[in-house]
Amino acid sequence: MENSSQESHLRSENSVTYESPYQLYAMALASSSSSSRHHRIALGSFIEDFNNRVDIVSFDPETLTVKTHPSLCFDHPYPPTKLMFQPTSLRKSSDLLASSGDFLRLWEVRDSSVEPLTVLNNSKSSEFCAPLTSFDWNEIEPKRLGTSSIDTTCTIWDIERGVVETQLIAHDKEVYDICWGEARVFASVSADGSVRIFDLRDKEHSTIIYESPQPDTPLLRLAWNKQDLRYMATVLMDSNKVVILDIRSPTMPVAELERHRAGVNAIAWAPQSSRHICSVGDDSQALIWELPPVAGPNGIDPMSMYSAASEINQLQWSAAQPEWIAIAFSNKMQLLKV
Amino acid sequence: MATTGLQNQERVPENLKKQLALAVRSIQWSYAIFWSISAGQPGVLEWGDGYYNGDIKTRKTIQAGEFNSDQLGLQRSEQLRELYESLSAGESNPQASRRPSAALSPEDLTDTEWYYLVCMSFLFNIGEGLPGRALANGQPIWLCNAHYADSKVFGRSLLAKSASIQTVVCFPFLQGVVELGATDLVLEDLSFIQQVKSSFLEIPYPIISKKSSTGAGNVRNDKDLACSALDQKMLDTTMIPVVGCEVLEMTSPNDSSYGIEPNQPAEDSFMANGVASQVQNWQFIDDEFSNCIHHSMNSSDCISQTFVDPGKVVCAPKDDNKPIGSCLQEVLECNDMKLTSLDLRGNDLHYQSVLSALLKTSHQLILGPHFRNCNQESSFISWKKGGLRNCKKQRDETPQKLLKKILFEVPRMDKNRVLESSEDNGIKDDVCRPEADEFAANLHVLSERRRREKLNERFITLKSLVPSISKFDKVSILDDTIIYLQELERKVEELESRPELPELVGRTKRKPKDTIERTSDNYGNNKISNGKKPPNKRKACDIDEMEPEIEYVVPKDGSTDNITVSTNDKNVLIEIRCPWREGILIEIMDAVSNLHLDSHSVQSSTTEEILSATIKSKYKGLTVASAGKIRQSLHRVVWKC
Repeated sequence: MENSSQESHLRSENSVTYESPYQLYAMALASSSSSSRHHRIALGSFIEDFNNRVDIVSFDPETLTVKTHPSLCFDHPYPPTKLMFQPTSLRKSSDLLASSGDFLRLWEVRDSSVEPLTVLNNSKSSEFCAPLTSFDWNEIEPKRLGTSSIDTTCTIWDIERGVVETQLIAHDKEVYDICWGEARVFASVSADGSVRIFDLRDKEHSTIIYESPQPDTPLLRLAWNKQDLRYMATVLMDSNKVVILDIRSPTMPVAELERHRAGVNAIAWAPQSSRHICSVGDDSQALIWELPPVAGPNGIDPMSMYSAASEINQLQWSAAQPEWIAIAFSNKMQLLKV
Repeated sequence: MATTGLQNQERVPENLKKQLALAVRSIQWSYAIFWSISAGQPGVLEWGDGYYNGDIKTRKTIQAGEFNSDQLGLQRSEQLRELYESLSAGESNPQASRRPSAALSPEDLTDTEWYYLVCMSFLFNIGEGLPGRALANGQPIWLCNAHYADSKVFGRSLLAKSASIQTVVCFPFLQGVVELGATDLVLEDLSFIQQVKSSFLEIPYPIISKKSSTGAGNVRNDKDLACSALDQKMLDTTMIPVVGCEVLEMTSPNDSSYGIEPNQPAEDSFMANGVASQVQNWQFIDDEFSNCIHHSMNSSDCISQTFVDPGKVVCAPKDDNKPIGSCLQEVLECNDMKLTSLDLRGNDLHYQSVLSALLKTSHQLILGPHFRNCNQESSFISWKKGGLRNCKKQRDETPQKLLKKILFEVPRMDKNRVLESSEDNGIKDDVCRPEADEFAANLHVLSERRRREKLNERFITLKSLVPSISKFDKVSILDDTIIYLQELERKVEELESRPELPELVGRTKRKPKDTIERTSDNYGNNKISNGKKPPNKRKACDIDEMEPEIEYVVPKDGSTDNITVSTNDKNVLIEIRCPWREGILIEIMDAVSNLHLDSHSVQSSTTEEILSATIKSKYKGLTVASAGKIRQSLHRVVWKC
C-alpha cells in the first residue's frame, strides 16, 4: 500500500490505542475488509467549529497496529454526528461511508482516496435540511438508510436512487437516534422521552413501546438487539442506566442496568450473541453485561469491565470483528479485545 | 426448544393438555395455558402446555379423514406450538424445512391465535406477571378488562387488546399456574375457578382413592392422596361421576386433619355442575381412555416430585380451605384498572403485525461460550463491585457532555442560517448560505456566518416594524416593507394636503390600532382600541377580564388626545393617545407612578407623531385615586407643553 503509514505506539497485549490530533466522537468500523485483511475504521473529529475532519485508519488484528492513511482523510466541516460504513458492501474495490450532520453525505472510500458521492438533502423547499442527529443503515436492505433530525422527523432514503423513500414526523420533539429492526421496521428515540416503532408498510401508525419515567426526560440513544429483535436498549439523559426493553411488553422495561457510576454515553449489543450488551459512560468504564433470563432482586451486575483514562464517549461493536470492541475517549480510539 | 420440550414432559403431566382442553371447552373460553416452573431456570414460569379454543382462521390438515371437534382442537394447539417453535428457531433454521406440509404459517392465524402464540415466548418470575403472582400468593387472580389493564398489572394487555381477550384468570395448580382467557367479559366468580379445578383438572384417580380408603390413618398415604389428586388422570367415562363423589367423601374427613385438601368439600351444586359438563365430554374422554393407563405410570414421578417441596404443594390447596368470602380479599385487579398511559388505541393491529414480522426473523438466544471464560487476552476483567478504582474526578461537569453537545448543540451550530428557527414552524429560507463546497474555507465561512447573523437580526427588526408582514421569509419581508413605505408616503402626502385636525384624528384612529394588534402578540389581552369606546371594541376575553363594575372615563371631545381610564378592583387600565413629543412616555409613567399605581404592562407605539399607549397597572397603596383623578393628572402631563 502506497499510503504512508504510522504505527500506533500505544499497545499492549490485548488492546490497541490510536491517538488522534482531535477530540473524537463519531466512529465506524467497516463491515468488510475489501482491500486487505486490515479493518478500516472511520474516525470523526469533534471540534466546535466548522473545521472537522474524518480520518480513515486501518487496524490489523494480527500485528495489533493501527495505521493512518493521510490520503484517506477528508474535511467534514460540521462535526459528524454519526459515521457508518455500508453494512453489506456491494462494491468490490471500495467501501461506502455515510456521515450525518448538516446533511447526509455519502463517501466512497477507495484504496488511496475518498470521493464525495452525494449530499442528500431531504428538504424539497429549501437547499438546506434540518440538522441530523443520527442515522442507521438497513442491514437487510443496504440501499435503505434512515436519518433522524431535530425537526421531529425521520427520513428514509433510497440511496441508490438518491431519493427520499418517505419522511415521517416521528415524534413530538427532536429525534435523537434511529435504529432498524428489519427491512421495513425501525425505531427511534426522542427528546419527547419515547421509543417508537414504525413500520414502513403502515406509515399512519407508530407504536410507543417505552416512555421515560419522568415525563419528557429525553432519550438519547437506542440500540436494537439484532440477534433477538424482541429486545432493545436505550439511554436516558443524565442517567447512569441502560434500559432494556422487550417490545412485547410495552412501557415496562425488562431490565435496568445501573452499575455505571455516571452518565451512560453509548450502548452496543454484541454482534454475535443476543444476551450480551456493552455500555460506556462518563465513569470511564466499558461494561459488558450478560442479560440473565430473569433479573435478580439486586439488579444485574456486569460480567466484565474495562477502565479507560477518561469519559468514554463512543462505542462500536462490529459484526465484522466481533472479538473487538472499539471505544473513543478524549482524542483516543481504543480497540479492546473482548 | 426441543430440549425444553423433553423437560416439559417431565414437569408437565402428559395428560394435562387434555385436561386443559376439557376444561376450556366446557366453559367455552378461548384458551388455557399451563405455566410450569422452568427446569432450566428455577424460579421462572415458562410455557408448559396449552390448549387453544378460540376463533380459527384457516384450518390445515393432512389427513382427509373426519375428525371430531376434540381432535381438531388438540391438533390446532399442536400446530400452533409447532409454528411457534419454527418461528422462534428462525426461518433459516433447517428445522423449518422439515415442518409438515400442513403446518400453519403466520398468515393463517387469527388475532387470538397470535396472542396465544406469543404467550409461548413469555417467561415470568415467580411473583411477577399475572401467573407469577398467582403462584407466589397461592391465590387465584381474576382480571377483567384485561385489554385495558395497566401493563404493570398485565404485561400482555396490548396483545390482549389486539386479540380482544377481555378476561384472564390465573390460579395455582400443581407446581405451576393455569391461565384461562376469554374474549368475553366474565365477572369474577371464584366458585367458577373451584369448579374448573375440581371438575376437570383434579379428577381423582381410582387407584389412589383405594389407597386413601385403605390407609385412612396413615399420614403418608394421605399425603400421597393429596398430591396425586392434584395430578389426576382421565378416567373411564363411566366411573367419573361416581368416583369423583366417592373420593370427596372419603378424603375430606382425613385430609382436613392434616390440612392438605386438594379437593375441597365442594358444595353440592358445584359437583352437579361439574358432573353435568363432564357428561358432555364423555365422548372425548373415552377417546383418550387408552392413553390413561400408560400415563398413570408417569404420574407417580410427578407425585414424588411434588414431595420434594411440600411447601409449594400445600400452598395451592391450602387456599381452598378458606371460605370463599375470604378469598374475595385477594387482589381484585379489575379495581386496579386504568388505561395504559399511552394512547395505543387503534395501533394494536399495527403492533401485532410489527410483532409478527419481528418474531418471524428473531433468533433464539445464542450464547457465545467464549464470553463466559474470558480468555486471558481480553482487555476486560471480571466486574467487581466498586470497580478497579473509584472515580477520582469530581463530576461537577455535565454528564454525557459530548453526547449532549452532539445532539443538542451541533444541530444548532448553523442555526443562524435559519431566520426564525422555532417560531415559524420550520419555515426556513436563506439565500445567503454558501455552497457546501465553500464550507471548507473556514475564515470565509465564519465571516459569512457573522454577516448572516447580522442580516437576520436586521430582518427581524424590520419585520417587527412593519405591521403588515404576514410571511417570514426575507423576500416577503422586503416586499411588505416596500408596500408599507409606499403607503406611508402616500399618507404623508395626504396629511400635508389636508391639515385639518379632526379629520386627521378620524383616520389615524384606526391605523395605530392595527399596528398594535399585529405587533403585540405577547399581550393578547391588551388589544384594546385606542380612541374608541372600549366596550364596543373589546374582545370577549377582555370583557371577561375587566369584569362587572367598570368605571369608564371617556373624553367627550374628539380631540387628538384621548385618555381612557378604566378601573376594576385594584386593576387600572389606562389608554392614552396624544401627540408625541420627546420624553412624553417617561413623563406619563412618572405621573402614573406618582398616582401610586404599579404598572406591570406598558405597550406603546408612535405613528405619525401620535403616541398610543396602553398601561396596565395596579393600585400600590391604600390611597386609591379615582379614574377621574388619574385621567386628570395624565391630561395635565400630556398637555403640559
